[in-house]
Amino acid sequence: MATKEVKSEITGAVWKIVKQPGDMLGEEDAIMILESMKMEIPVLAECTGRLLELKVKENEPVAEGQVLAVVEV
Amino acid sequence: MSWKPEADDLAARRAFADGLGGPEAIEKHHAQGRLTVRERIAGLTDAGSFQEVGKLTGKGAYVDGQLDKVVPAPYVMGLAKIDGRPVAIGGEDFTVRGGTSWGSDRRKGGQGGFVEDLAHEYRIPLVNLIDGAGGSVASATRRGYTVFPGIHGFERSVQLMAEVPVVSAVMGTAAGGPAGRAILAHWSVMVKGTSQVFAAGPPVVERSLGQKIDKEALGGAGIAVDTAGTIDNAADDEPSAFAMIRRYLGYMPRNVWELPPVVKTDDPPDRADEGLLTIVPRERRQPYNMRKLVGMIVDRDSAFEIQPTCGRAVITSLARLHGYVVGVIANNPMVNGGAMDVKAARKQAHFIQLCDTFHIPIVFLVDVPGFMVGLAAEQAATLREGMRAVYVALQATVPMLTCVIRKCYGMAGMGTTDKNGLDFKIAWPSAEWGSLPVEGGAAAAFKREIESAADPAARLKEIEADLRKLASPLLTAEAFAVEDVIDPRETRAYLCRFVEAMQGRLATTLGPKLRAGVPP
Repeated sequence: MATKEVKSEITGAVWKIVKQPGDMLGEEDAIMILESMKMEIPVLAECTGRLLELKVKENEPVAEGQVLAVVEV
Repeated sequence: MSWKPEADDLAARRAFADGLGGPEAIEKHHAQGRLTVRERIAGLTDAGSFQEVGKLTGKGAYVDGQLDKVVPAPYVMGLAKIDGRPVAIGGEDFTVRGGTSWGSDRRKGGQGGFVEDLAHEYRIPLVNLIDGAGGSVASATRRGYTVFPGIHGFERSVQLMAEVPVVSAVMGTAAGGPAGRAILAHWSVMVKGTSQVFAAGPPVVERSLGQKIDKEALGGAGIAVDTAGTIDNAADDEPSAFAMIRRYLGYMPRNVWELPPVVKTDDPPDRADEGLLTIVPRERRQPYNMRKLVGMIVDRDSAFEIQPTCGRAVITSLARLHGYVVGVIANNPMVNGGAMDVKAARKQAHFIQLCDTFHIPIVFLVDVPGFMVGLAAEQAATLREGMRAVYVALQATVPMLTCVIRKCYGMAGMGTTDKNGLDFKIAWPSAEWGSLPVEGGAAAAFKREIESAADPAARLKEIEADLRKLASPLLTAEAFAVEDVIDPRETRAYLCRFVEAMQGRLATTLGPKLRAGVPP
Protein backbone atom coordinates (compact mmCIF):
# COMPACT_ATOMS: atom_id res chain seq x y z
CA MET A 1 0.00 0.00 0.00
CA ALA A 2 1.48 3.31 -1.07
CA THR A 3 0.71 6.48 0.83
CA LYS A 4 1.18 10.13 0.03
CA GLU A 5 1.55 12.99 2.49
CA VAL A 6 -0.41 16.11 1.62
CA LYS A 7 1.50 19.16 2.83
CA SER A 8 0.51 22.77 3.36
CA GLU A 9 1.99 25.15 0.81
CA ILE A 10 1.23 28.14 3.03
CA THR A 11 1.11 29.40 6.59
CA GLY A 12 -2.42 29.87 7.90
CA ALA A 13 -5.12 28.05 9.85
CA VAL A 14 -7.50 25.20 9.12
CA TRP A 15 -10.85 26.81 8.34
CA LYS A 16 -12.94 23.80 7.38
CA ILE A 17 -12.39 20.05 7.04
CA VAL A 18 -14.19 18.80 3.93
CA LYS A 19 -13.28 15.12 3.73
CA GLN A 20 -13.13 12.51 6.48
CA PRO A 21 -10.87 9.44 6.79
CA GLY A 22 -12.21 6.68 4.56
CA ASP A 23 -13.54 9.08 1.91
CA MET A 24 -12.52 8.46 -1.68
CA LEU A 25 -10.64 11.32 -3.33
CA GLY A 26 -10.22 12.58 -6.89
CA GLU A 27 -7.28 14.75 -7.98
CA GLU A 28 -9.32 17.96 -7.88
CA ASP A 29 -11.04 17.21 -4.57
CA ALA A 30 -10.38 19.53 -1.66
CA ILE A 31 -9.54 17.66 1.54
CA MET A 32 -9.79 20.79 3.65
CA ILE A 33 -9.81 24.55 3.30
CA LEU A 34 -7.18 26.69 4.96
CA GLU A 35 -7.52 30.34 5.78
CA SER A 36 -4.57 32.59 5.06
CA MET A 37 -4.48 36.34 4.47
CA LYS A 38 -8.31 36.43 4.53
CA MET A 39 -8.46 33.92 1.67
CA GLU A 40 -9.88 30.41 1.66
CA ILE A 41 -7.21 28.19 0.19
CA PRO A 42 -8.34 24.68 -0.77
CA VAL A 43 -5.93 21.82 -0.11
CA LEU A 44 -6.31 19.49 -3.06
CA ALA A 45 -5.66 15.76 -2.97
CA GLU A 46 -3.70 16.00 -6.26
CA CYS A 47 -4.03 12.23 -6.63
CA THR A 48 -6.80 9.69 -6.63
CA GLY A 49 -7.06 7.52 -3.55
CA ARG A 50 -8.60 7.16 -0.14
CA LEU A 51 -8.13 9.57 2.75
CA LEU A 52 -6.31 7.62 5.44
CA GLU A 53 -5.65 10.17 8.15
CA LEU A 54 -6.13 13.83 8.99
CA LYS A 55 -3.18 15.33 10.85
CA VAL A 56 -4.89 18.60 11.82
CA LYS A 57 -8.19 19.83 13.28
CA GLU A 58 -10.36 22.82 12.42
CA ASN A 59 -9.01 26.18 13.65
CA GLU A 60 -5.53 24.71 14.15
CA PRO A 61 -2.69 26.90 12.86
CA VAL A 62 -0.52 25.28 10.18
CA ALA A 63 2.96 26.10 8.93
CA GLU A 64 4.27 25.92 5.37
CA GLY A 65 5.43 22.38 4.65
CA GLN A 66 3.41 20.84 7.52
CA VAL A 67 1.78 17.48 6.78
CA LEU A 68 -2.01 17.94 6.79
CA ALA A 69 -3.27 14.56 5.68
CA VAL A 70 -2.19 11.12 4.50
CA VAL A 71 -3.76 9.59 1.41
CA GLU A 72 -3.66 5.95 0.35
CA VAL A 73 -2.97 5.88 -3.37
CA MET B 1 55.87 19.64 -50.49
CA SER B 2 52.53 20.00 -48.82
CA TRP B 3 51.66 20.88 -45.22
CA LYS B 4 50.18 17.42 -44.70
CA PRO B 5 52.45 16.51 -41.74
CA GLU B 6 51.37 19.66 -39.91
CA ALA B 7 47.72 19.00 -40.76
CA ASP B 8 48.11 15.49 -39.35
CA ASP B 9 49.75 16.92 -36.25
CA LEU B 10 46.79 19.29 -35.80
CA ALA B 11 44.37 16.40 -36.17
CA ALA B 12 46.27 14.42 -33.54
CA ARG B 13 46.24 17.37 -31.13
CA ARG B 14 42.52 17.87 -31.69
CA ALA B 15 41.95 14.19 -30.96
CA PHE B 16 43.56 14.70 -27.54
CA ALA B 17 41.14 17.59 -26.93
CA ASP B 18 38.20 15.40 -27.97
CA GLY B 19 39.44 12.77 -25.52
CA LEU B 20 38.90 15.16 -22.58
CA GLY B 21 40.26 13.73 -19.30
CA GLY B 22 40.46 10.18 -20.70
CA PRO B 23 38.02 7.22 -20.84
CA GLU B 24 38.25 6.45 -17.13
CA ALA B 25 37.40 9.99 -16.03
CA ILE B 26 34.58 10.18 -18.58
CA GLU B 27 33.12 6.87 -17.40
CA LYS B 28 33.17 8.09 -13.79
CA HIS B 29 31.47 11.32 -14.85
CA HIS B 30 28.78 9.43 -16.80
CA ALA B 31 28.21 7.09 -13.86
CA GLN B 32 27.08 10.10 -11.84
CA GLY B 33 24.38 10.80 -14.41
CA ARG B 34 26.30 13.70 -15.94
CA LEU B 35 27.27 14.47 -19.52
CA THR B 36 30.70 15.72 -20.60
CA VAL B 37 31.07 19.33 -21.64
CA ARG B 38 31.33 18.30 -25.31
CA GLU B 39 28.15 16.22 -25.04
CA ARG B 40 26.44 19.18 -23.39
CA ILE B 41 27.41 21.61 -26.14
CA ALA B 42 26.30 19.06 -28.77
CA GLY B 43 23.02 18.48 -26.94
CA LEU B 44 22.22 22.16 -26.61
CA THR B 45 23.31 23.71 -29.90
CA ASP B 46 22.19 23.18 -33.50
CA ALA B 47 23.77 20.08 -35.10
CA GLY B 48 27.17 20.86 -36.63
CA SER B 49 27.04 24.52 -35.61
CA PHE B 50 29.77 24.48 -32.96
CA GLN B 51 32.97 26.18 -34.06
CA GLU B 52 35.35 25.53 -31.21
CA VAL B 53 37.98 28.14 -30.42
CA GLY B 54 41.18 27.27 -28.59
CA LYS B 55 40.98 23.52 -29.09
CA LEU B 56 44.78 23.24 -28.95
CA THR B 57 45.04 24.64 -25.44
CA GLY B 58 46.41 22.31 -22.84
CA LYS B 59 49.61 20.95 -21.46
CA GLY B 60 51.69 19.07 -24.02
CA ALA B 61 54.07 16.30 -22.98
CA TYR B 62 57.04 15.75 -25.28
CA VAL B 63 59.45 12.81 -25.66
CA ASP B 64 62.66 13.65 -27.54
CA GLY B 65 61.03 16.75 -28.92
CA GLN B 66 58.05 14.75 -30.24
CA LEU B 67 54.53 15.30 -28.92
CA ASP B 68 53.55 12.38 -26.73
CA LYS B 69 50.20 13.62 -25.50
CA VAL B 70 48.23 16.71 -24.49
CA VAL B 71 46.18 17.10 -21.32
CA PRO B 72 43.50 19.46 -22.62
CA ALA B 73 42.65 22.69 -20.84
CA PRO B 74 39.62 22.09 -18.61
CA TYR B 75 37.45 24.59 -20.48
CA VAL B 76 35.75 24.11 -23.87
CA MET B 77 34.24 27.07 -25.70
CA GLY B 78 33.45 28.72 -28.99
CA LEU B 79 30.76 29.96 -31.30
CA ALA B 80 27.58 28.00 -31.99
CA LYS B 81 23.97 28.40 -33.03
CA ILE B 82 20.79 27.79 -31.07
CA ASP B 83 17.67 27.67 -33.25
CA GLY B 84 19.66 29.30 -36.04
CA ARG B 85 20.89 32.24 -33.94
CA PRO B 86 24.54 32.69 -32.88
CA VAL B 87 25.65 32.28 -29.27
CA ALA B 88 28.96 32.32 -27.43
CA ILE B 89 29.11 29.14 -25.39
CA GLY B 90 31.57 27.61 -22.98
CA GLY B 91 31.88 25.30 -20.03
CA GLU B 92 34.33 23.67 -17.67
CA ASP B 93 35.49 20.14 -18.39
CA PHE B 94 35.05 18.34 -15.09
CA THR B 95 36.97 15.30 -16.35
CA VAL B 96 40.20 17.30 -16.35
CA ARG B 97 41.22 18.17 -12.79
CA GLY B 98 37.60 18.75 -11.77
CA GLY B 99 37.35 21.72 -14.10
CA THR B 100 39.55 23.84 -11.83
CA SER B 101 41.04 27.04 -13.16
CA TRP B 102 44.09 26.58 -15.28
CA GLY B 103 47.02 28.88 -15.95
CA SER B 104 46.87 29.87 -19.62
CA ASP B 105 48.20 33.03 -21.22
CA ARG B 106 44.76 34.27 -22.17
CA ARG B 107 41.77 32.95 -20.29
CA LYS B 108 39.26 30.92 -22.30
CA GLY B 109 36.18 31.61 -20.20
CA GLY B 110 34.36 30.91 -16.99
CA GLN B 111 35.06 34.31 -15.47
CA GLY B 112 35.86 36.78 -18.22
CA GLY B 113 38.03 35.24 -20.95
CA PHE B 114 37.65 34.88 -24.72
CA VAL B 115 34.11 33.52 -24.67
CA GLU B 116 32.83 36.56 -22.74
CA ASP B 117 34.83 38.91 -24.98
CA LEU B 118 33.19 37.21 -27.97
CA ALA B 119 29.70 37.78 -26.55
CA HIS B 120 30.60 41.41 -25.83
CA GLU B 121 32.29 42.26 -29.12
CA TYR B 122 29.79 40.49 -31.38
CA ARG B 123 26.82 41.33 -29.17
CA ILE B 124 25.54 37.77 -29.06
CA PRO B 125 24.06 35.81 -26.13
CA LEU B 126 26.38 33.99 -23.73
CA VAL B 127 25.68 30.51 -22.41
CA ASN B 128 27.74 29.32 -19.42
CA LEU B 129 27.74 25.59 -18.73
CA ILE B 130 29.08 25.59 -15.19
CA ASP B 131 30.76 22.50 -13.82
CA GLY B 132 33.93 23.57 -12.08
CA ALA B 133 35.32 23.64 -8.60
CA GLY B 134 36.80 27.11 -8.99
CA GLY B 135 40.07 28.19 -7.46
CA SER B 136 42.25 25.93 -5.38
CA VAL B 137 44.68 26.84 -2.62
CA ALA B 138 47.10 24.54 -4.44
CA SER B 139 47.58 27.22 -7.12
CA ALA B 140 49.74 29.17 -4.64
CA THR B 141 52.34 26.40 -4.71
CA ARG B 142 52.45 26.60 -8.52
CA ARG B 143 52.73 30.39 -8.62
CA GLY B 144 54.86 30.91 -5.54
CA TYR B 145 52.47 33.57 -4.20
CA THR B 146 48.82 33.98 -3.29
CA VAL B 147 46.61 35.88 -5.71
CA PHE B 148 44.46 38.85 -4.85
CA PRO B 149 40.71 38.15 -5.24
CA GLY B 150 39.58 39.25 -8.67
CA ILE B 151 42.66 38.39 -10.71
CA HIS B 152 40.11 36.87 -13.08
CA GLY B 153 37.46 39.41 -12.32
CA PHE B 154 33.76 39.66 -12.98
CA GLU B 155 33.98 43.05 -14.67
CA ARG B 156 33.24 41.71 -18.16
CA SER B 157 30.52 39.43 -16.78
CA VAL B 158 28.86 42.46 -15.16
CA GLN B 159 29.19 44.51 -18.35
CA LEU B 160 27.46 41.76 -20.34
CA MET B 161 24.38 42.02 -18.11
CA ALA B 162 23.57 45.35 -19.77
CA GLU B 163 24.33 44.17 -23.32
CA VAL B 164 23.38 40.61 -24.24
CA PRO B 165 21.29 37.77 -22.77
CA VAL B 166 23.40 35.73 -20.35
CA VAL B 167 22.28 32.24 -19.36
CA SER B 168 23.91 30.07 -16.70
CA ALA B 169 23.37 26.36 -16.36
CA VAL B 170 24.77 24.77 -13.21
CA MET B 171 25.65 21.26 -14.37
CA GLY B 172 27.65 20.00 -11.40
CA THR B 173 28.77 21.17 -8.00
CA ALA B 174 29.58 24.88 -8.16
CA ALA B 175 31.27 26.65 -5.26
CA GLY B 176 33.15 29.93 -5.05
CA GLY B 177 33.88 31.66 -8.37
CA PRO B 178 31.82 29.34 -10.61
CA ALA B 179 28.87 29.70 -8.19
CA GLY B 180 29.22 33.47 -8.36
CA ARG B 181 29.45 33.27 -12.16
CA ALA B 182 26.18 31.28 -12.18
CA ILE B 183 24.37 34.13 -10.45
CA LEU B 184 25.68 36.78 -12.86
CA ALA B 185 23.11 35.82 -15.47
CA HIS B 186 19.72 37.01 -16.63
CA TRP B 187 18.41 33.52 -16.18
CA SER B 188 19.81 30.37 -14.60
CA VAL B 189 18.91 26.71 -14.44
CA MET B 190 20.24 23.72 -12.52
CA VAL B 191 19.64 19.97 -12.66
CA LYS B 192 17.79 18.22 -9.84
CA GLY B 193 19.94 15.71 -7.98
CA THR B 194 23.14 16.16 -9.97
CA SER B 195 23.96 19.81 -9.43
CA GLN B 196 24.50 21.96 -6.38
CA VAL B 197 25.49 25.57 -5.85
CA PHE B 198 26.78 27.36 -2.77
CA ALA B 199 29.29 29.95 -1.59
CA ALA B 200 31.27 27.10 -0.06
CA GLY B 201 30.78 23.34 0.10
CA PRO B 202 30.34 20.94 3.05
CA PRO B 203 34.03 20.67 4.12
CA VAL B 204 34.37 24.46 4.48
CA VAL B 205 30.96 24.70 6.21
CA GLU B 206 31.94 22.03 8.70
CA ARG B 207 35.27 23.70 9.51
CA SER B 208 33.74 27.15 9.77
CA LEU B 209 30.55 26.39 11.67
CA GLY B 210 30.79 22.80 12.80
CA GLN B 211 27.69 22.19 10.69
CA LYS B 212 27.58 18.71 9.16
CA ILE B 213 25.51 18.78 5.99
CA ASP B 214 25.77 17.02 2.64
CA LYS B 215 26.05 18.95 -0.61
CA GLU B 216 22.52 18.20 -1.84
CA ALA B 217 20.97 19.39 1.44
CA LEU B 218 23.19 22.48 1.38
CA GLY B 219 22.86 23.58 -2.21
CA GLY B 220 20.67 21.22 -4.24
CA ALA B 221 17.67 22.48 -6.19
CA GLY B 222 15.48 22.20 -3.07
CA ILE B 223 17.50 24.98 -1.46
CA ALA B 224 18.96 26.96 -4.38
CA VAL B 225 15.80 27.02 -6.52
CA ASP B 226 12.75 26.34 -4.34
CA THR B 227 13.81 27.98 -1.08
CA ALA B 228 16.33 30.68 -1.89
CA GLY B 229 15.71 31.56 -5.54
CA THR B 230 19.50 31.73 -6.03
CA ILE B 231 18.97 29.82 -9.29
CA ASP B 232 15.78 30.47 -11.25
CA ASN B 233 14.55 27.12 -12.56
CA ALA B 234 15.23 23.42 -11.95
CA ALA B 235 15.33 20.78 -14.69
CA ASP B 236 14.73 17.05 -14.21
CA ASP B 237 17.82 16.09 -16.20
CA GLU B 238 20.45 17.65 -18.46
CA PRO B 239 18.51 17.31 -21.75
CA SER B 240 15.51 19.05 -20.12
CA ALA B 241 17.84 21.84 -18.99
CA PHE B 242 19.01 22.26 -22.62
CA ALA B 243 15.39 22.41 -23.81
CA MET B 244 14.69 25.12 -21.22
CA ILE B 245 17.74 27.14 -22.30
CA ARG B 246 16.63 26.99 -25.95
CA ARG B 247 13.12 28.02 -24.91
CA TYR B 248 14.37 30.95 -22.81
CA LEU B 249 16.65 32.27 -25.56
CA GLY B 250 13.71 32.07 -27.98
CA TYR B 251 12.15 35.05 -26.14
CA MET B 252 15.35 37.08 -26.11
CA PRO B 253 16.75 39.46 -28.69
CA ARG B 254 20.41 38.89 -29.62
CA ASN B 255 21.32 42.02 -27.69
CA VAL B 256 19.82 45.19 -26.22
CA TRP B 257 20.17 47.02 -29.56
CA GLU B 258 17.54 44.73 -31.12
CA LEU B 259 13.93 43.78 -30.45
CA PRO B 260 12.97 40.25 -29.36
CA PRO B 261 12.03 37.84 -32.16
CA VAL B 262 8.42 37.85 -33.34
CA VAL B 263 6.96 34.47 -34.26
CA LYS B 264 3.97 33.70 -36.40
CA THR B 265 1.14 32.18 -34.42
CA ASP B 266 -2.06 30.51 -35.53
CA ASP B 267 -3.72 31.54 -32.27
CA PRO B 268 -6.13 34.34 -33.30
CA PRO B 269 -5.53 37.62 -31.44
CA ASP B 270 -9.27 37.96 -30.88
CA ARG B 271 -9.70 34.49 -29.38
CA ALA B 272 -12.10 34.92 -26.46
CA ASP B 273 -11.79 32.14 -23.89
CA GLU B 274 -15.19 31.54 -22.29
CA GLY B 275 -13.44 30.23 -19.17
CA LEU B 276 -12.36 33.77 -18.35
CA LEU B 277 -15.94 34.63 -17.48
CA THR B 278 -16.09 32.09 -14.66
CA ILE B 279 -12.52 31.67 -13.45
CA VAL B 280 -12.72 34.31 -10.70
CA PRO B 281 -15.16 33.21 -7.96
CA ARG B 282 -17.78 35.75 -6.94
CA GLU B 283 -16.95 35.01 -3.29
CA ARG B 284 -14.02 37.34 -2.65
CA ARG B 285 -12.39 34.98 -0.18
CA GLN B 286 -12.05 32.19 -2.69
CA PRO B 287 -8.86 32.06 -4.73
CA TYR B 288 -8.49 30.73 -8.28
CA ASN B 289 -5.80 29.36 -10.56
CA MET B 290 -3.91 32.39 -11.88
CA ARG B 291 -1.56 30.21 -13.98
CA LYS B 292 -4.57 28.88 -15.84
CA LEU B 293 -5.86 32.43 -16.29
CA VAL B 294 -2.53 33.55 -17.81
CA GLY B 295 -2.64 30.56 -20.18
CA MET B 296 -6.11 31.55 -21.41
CA ILE B 297 -4.94 35.04 -22.37
CA VAL B 298 -1.49 34.64 -23.95
CA ASP B 299 -0.72 32.85 -27.23
CA ARG B 300 -1.43 29.14 -26.80
CA ASP B 301 1.40 27.34 -24.89
CA SER B 302 3.60 30.43 -25.08
CA ALA B 303 4.10 31.00 -21.34
CA PHE B 304 7.49 30.11 -19.87
CA GLU B 305 7.55 30.65 -16.14
CA ILE B 306 10.65 32.08 -14.48
CA GLN B 307 11.23 31.00 -10.86
CA PRO B 308 8.04 28.92 -10.64
CA THR B 309 8.83 27.49 -7.20
CA CYS B 310 10.19 30.47 -5.28
CA GLY B 311 8.39 33.69 -4.36
CA ARG B 312 5.17 31.94 -5.35
CA ALA B 313 2.91 34.86 -4.39
CA VAL B 314 3.70 36.27 -7.83
CA ILE B 315 3.93 34.43 -11.15
CA THR B 316 6.44 35.80 -13.66
CA SER B 317 6.36 34.41 -17.21
CA LEU B 318 7.80 35.23 -20.57
CA ALA B 319 5.02 34.75 -23.08
CA ARG B 320 3.69 35.99 -26.41
CA LEU B 321 0.69 38.04 -27.44
CA HIS B 322 -0.04 37.89 -31.18
CA GLY B 323 3.53 36.63 -31.61
CA TYR B 324 5.18 39.53 -29.76
CA VAL B 325 7.18 38.75 -26.64
CA VAL B 326 5.74 40.12 -23.39
CA GLY B 327 6.64 39.69 -19.74
CA VAL B 328 3.59 38.72 -17.68
CA ILE B 329 3.53 39.53 -13.96
CA ALA B 330 0.49 37.98 -12.29
CA ASN B 331 -0.24 37.83 -8.56
CA ASN B 332 -1.10 34.40 -7.20
CA PRO B 333 -4.11 34.46 -4.84
CA MET B 334 -3.33 30.87 -3.76
CA VAL B 335 -0.21 32.02 -1.87
CA ASN B 336 -0.49 34.70 0.84
CA GLY B 337 -3.72 35.74 -0.89
CA GLY B 338 -1.36 37.28 -3.45
CA ALA B 339 0.30 39.58 -0.88
CA MET B 340 3.83 40.52 -1.84
CA ASP B 341 6.39 38.96 0.45
CA VAL B 342 10.13 39.47 0.32
CA LYS B 343 10.81 36.65 -2.16
CA ALA B 344 7.96 37.66 -4.46
CA ALA B 345 9.19 41.26 -4.37
CA ARG B 346 12.75 40.24 -5.25
CA LYS B 347 11.48 38.06 -8.09
CA GLN B 348 9.22 40.78 -9.45
CA ALA B 349 11.97 43.43 -9.30
CA HIS B 350 14.41 41.19 -11.18
CA PHE B 351 11.81 40.31 -13.80
CA ILE B 352 10.89 43.96 -14.41
CA GLN B 353 14.56 44.86 -14.94
CA LEU B 354 14.99 41.87 -17.25
CA CYS B 355 12.04 42.98 -19.39
CA ASP B 356 13.11 46.63 -19.32
CA THR B 357 16.67 45.73 -20.38
CA PHE B 358 15.54 43.68 -23.39
CA HIS B 359 12.65 45.96 -24.43
CA ILE B 360 10.01 43.40 -23.53
CA PRO B 361 6.69 45.10 -22.70
CA ILE B 362 5.18 44.12 -19.37
CA VAL B 363 1.62 42.97 -18.79
CA PHE B 364 0.46 43.08 -15.17
CA LEU B 365 -2.47 40.83 -14.26
CA VAL B 366 -3.18 42.30 -10.88
CA ASP B 367 -4.66 40.68 -7.78
CA VAL B 368 -2.58 42.06 -4.95
CA PRO B 369 -3.95 42.96 -1.50
CA GLY B 370 -0.70 44.78 -0.66
CA PHE B 371 2.61 43.93 0.97
CA MET B 372 2.71 40.89 3.24
CA VAL B 373 2.03 41.81 6.87
CA GLY B 374 3.04 40.37 10.22
CA LEU B 375 6.17 40.02 12.34
CA ALA B 376 7.92 37.53 10.06
CA ALA B 377 7.33 39.82 7.07
CA GLU B 378 8.74 42.84 8.92
CA GLN B 379 11.77 40.85 10.09
CA ALA B 380 12.44 39.85 6.50
CA ALA B 381 12.41 43.54 5.37
CA THR B 382 9.35 43.06 3.16
CA LEU B 383 8.72 46.80 3.14
CA ARG B 384 12.21 47.56 1.85
CA GLU B 385 12.26 44.78 -0.76
CA GLY B 386 8.66 45.61 -1.70
CA MET B 387 9.55 49.27 -2.25
CA ARG B 388 12.47 48.11 -4.36
CA ALA B 389 9.97 46.33 -6.63
CA VAL B 390 7.92 49.53 -6.76
CA TYR B 391 11.09 51.58 -7.44
CA VAL B 392 12.23 49.48 -10.39
CA ALA B 393 8.71 49.57 -11.86
CA LEU B 394 8.68 53.36 -11.63
CA GLN B 395 12.18 53.57 -13.11
CA ALA B 396 11.53 51.20 -16.01
CA THR B 397 10.81 52.82 -19.37
CA VAL B 398 9.46 49.83 -21.26
CA PRO B 399 5.68 50.10 -21.91
CA MET B 400 3.46 48.37 -19.36
CA LEU B 401 -0.19 47.36 -19.57
CA THR B 402 -2.17 46.88 -16.39
CA CYS B 403 -5.21 44.63 -16.19
CA VAL B 404 -6.76 44.43 -12.73
CA ILE B 405 -8.34 41.01 -12.20
CA ARG B 406 -9.41 41.45 -8.58
CA LYS B 407 -7.54 43.29 -5.83
CA CYS B 408 -5.23 46.23 -6.44
CA TYR B 409 -4.31 47.82 -3.15
CA GLY B 410 -1.66 50.02 -1.65
CA MET B 411 1.94 50.43 -2.65
CA ALA B 412 2.20 46.97 -4.18
CA GLY B 413 -0.78 47.92 -6.36
CA MET B 414 0.84 51.20 -7.38
CA GLY B 415 3.91 49.27 -8.52
CA THR B 416 1.84 47.58 -11.23
CA THR B 417 1.19 50.69 -13.29
CA ASP B 418 3.04 52.48 -16.08
CA LYS B 419 3.42 55.78 -14.27
CA ASN B 420 6.21 56.99 -16.59
CA GLY B 421 4.31 56.02 -19.71
CA LEU B 422 0.73 55.81 -20.85
CA ASP B 423 -0.47 54.79 -17.35
CA PHE B 424 -3.00 52.57 -19.07
CA LYS B 425 -5.13 50.49 -16.73
CA ILE B 426 -8.01 48.22 -17.65
CA ALA B 427 -10.02 46.14 -15.23
CA TRP B 428 -12.41 43.22 -15.01
CA PRO B 429 -15.82 43.66 -13.34
CA SER B 430 -14.40 41.68 -10.40
CA ALA B 431 -11.78 44.40 -9.78
CA GLU B 432 -11.56 46.45 -6.60
CA TRP B 433 -8.94 48.91 -5.42
CA GLY B 434 -7.97 51.53 -2.92
CA SER B 435 -5.23 52.48 -0.54
CA LEU B 436 -6.08 49.43 1.55
CA PRO B 437 -8.81 46.74 1.59
CA VAL B 438 -12.09 47.54 3.35
CA GLU B 439 -11.54 44.73 5.85
CA GLY B 440 -9.12 45.97 8.47
CA GLY B 441 -9.10 49.41 6.90
CA ALA B 442 -12.62 50.25 8.10
CA ALA B 443 -11.94 49.18 11.68
CA ALA B 444 -8.95 51.55 11.83
CA ALA B 445 -10.49 54.54 10.03
CA PHE B 446 -13.79 54.51 11.95
CA LYS B 447 -12.42 53.30 15.30
CA ARG B 448 -14.13 55.88 17.53
CA GLU B 449 -17.50 55.62 15.77
CA ILE B 450 -17.45 51.83 16.02
CA GLU B 451 -16.38 51.77 19.66
CA SER B 452 -19.11 54.21 20.72
CA ALA B 453 -21.88 52.30 18.89
CA ALA B 454 -24.36 50.22 20.90
CA ASP B 455 -23.39 47.14 18.90
CA PRO B 456 -19.82 47.76 17.62
CA ALA B 457 -19.68 44.58 15.51
CA ALA B 458 -22.92 45.44 13.72
CA ARG B 459 -21.78 49.04 13.14
CA LEU B 460 -18.49 47.79 11.63
CA LYS B 461 -20.46 45.57 9.24
CA GLU B 462 -22.69 48.52 8.24
CA ILE B 463 -19.69 50.75 7.57
CA GLU B 464 -17.99 48.03 5.54
CA ALA B 465 -21.15 47.48 3.48
CA ASP B 466 -21.41 51.24 2.77
CA LEU B 467 -17.77 51.40 1.71
CA ARG B 468 -18.13 48.35 -0.51
CA LYS B 469 -20.95 50.02 -2.46
CA LEU B 470 -18.42 52.65 -3.50
CA ALA B 471 -15.95 49.97 -4.59
CA SER B 472 -17.53 49.15 -7.97
CA PRO B 473 -14.90 49.59 -10.70
CA LEU B 474 -17.63 51.07 -12.92
CA LEU B 475 -17.81 54.17 -10.68
CA THR B 476 -14.06 54.64 -11.14
CA ALA B 477 -14.49 54.13 -14.91
CA GLU B 478 -17.15 56.86 -14.99
CA ALA B 479 -14.54 59.23 -13.57
CA PHE B 480 -11.97 57.89 -16.11
CA ALA B 481 -9.71 57.08 -13.17
CA VAL B 482 -9.38 53.63 -14.71
CA GLU B 483 -9.27 53.73 -18.50
CA ASP B 484 -11.66 50.84 -19.12
CA VAL B 485 -13.62 48.02 -17.53
CA ILE B 486 -13.88 45.09 -19.90
CA ASP B 487 -15.61 41.75 -20.31
CA PRO B 488 -12.89 39.27 -19.18
CA ARG B 489 -13.27 37.43 -22.50
CA GLU B 490 -12.04 40.56 -24.33
CA THR B 491 -8.74 40.67 -22.43
CA ARG B 492 -6.60 38.91 -25.04
CA ALA B 493 -7.89 40.94 -27.98
CA TYR B 494 -7.52 44.21 -26.08
CA LEU B 495 -3.94 43.46 -24.98
CA CYS B 496 -2.92 42.12 -28.42
CA ARG B 497 -3.98 45.35 -30.12
CA PHE B 498 -1.93 47.53 -27.79
CA VAL B 499 1.13 45.26 -27.80
CA GLU B 500 1.13 45.34 -31.60
CA ALA B 501 0.71 49.11 -31.66
CA MET B 502 3.64 49.76 -29.29
CA GLN B 503 6.19 47.90 -31.48
CA GLY B 504 7.07 51.02 -33.47
CA ARG B 505 7.80 52.95 -30.33
CA LEU B 506 9.89 50.08 -28.92
CA ALA B 507 12.05 50.22 -32.06
CA THR B 508 12.85 53.88 -31.35
CA THR B 509 14.15 53.30 -27.81
CA LEU B 510 16.69 50.50 -28.32
CA GLY B 511 20.09 50.26 -26.66
CA PRO B 512 21.32 49.89 -23.09
CA LYS B 513 19.17 51.28 -20.29
CA LEU B 514 20.73 53.74 -17.90
CA ARG B 515 19.38 53.45 -14.39
CA ALA B 516 20.58 56.34 -12.28
CA GLY B 517 19.99 56.62 -8.57
CA VAL B 518 20.06 54.23 -5.67
CA PRO B 519 17.27 51.67 -5.34
CA PRO B 520 16.20 51.17 -1.70
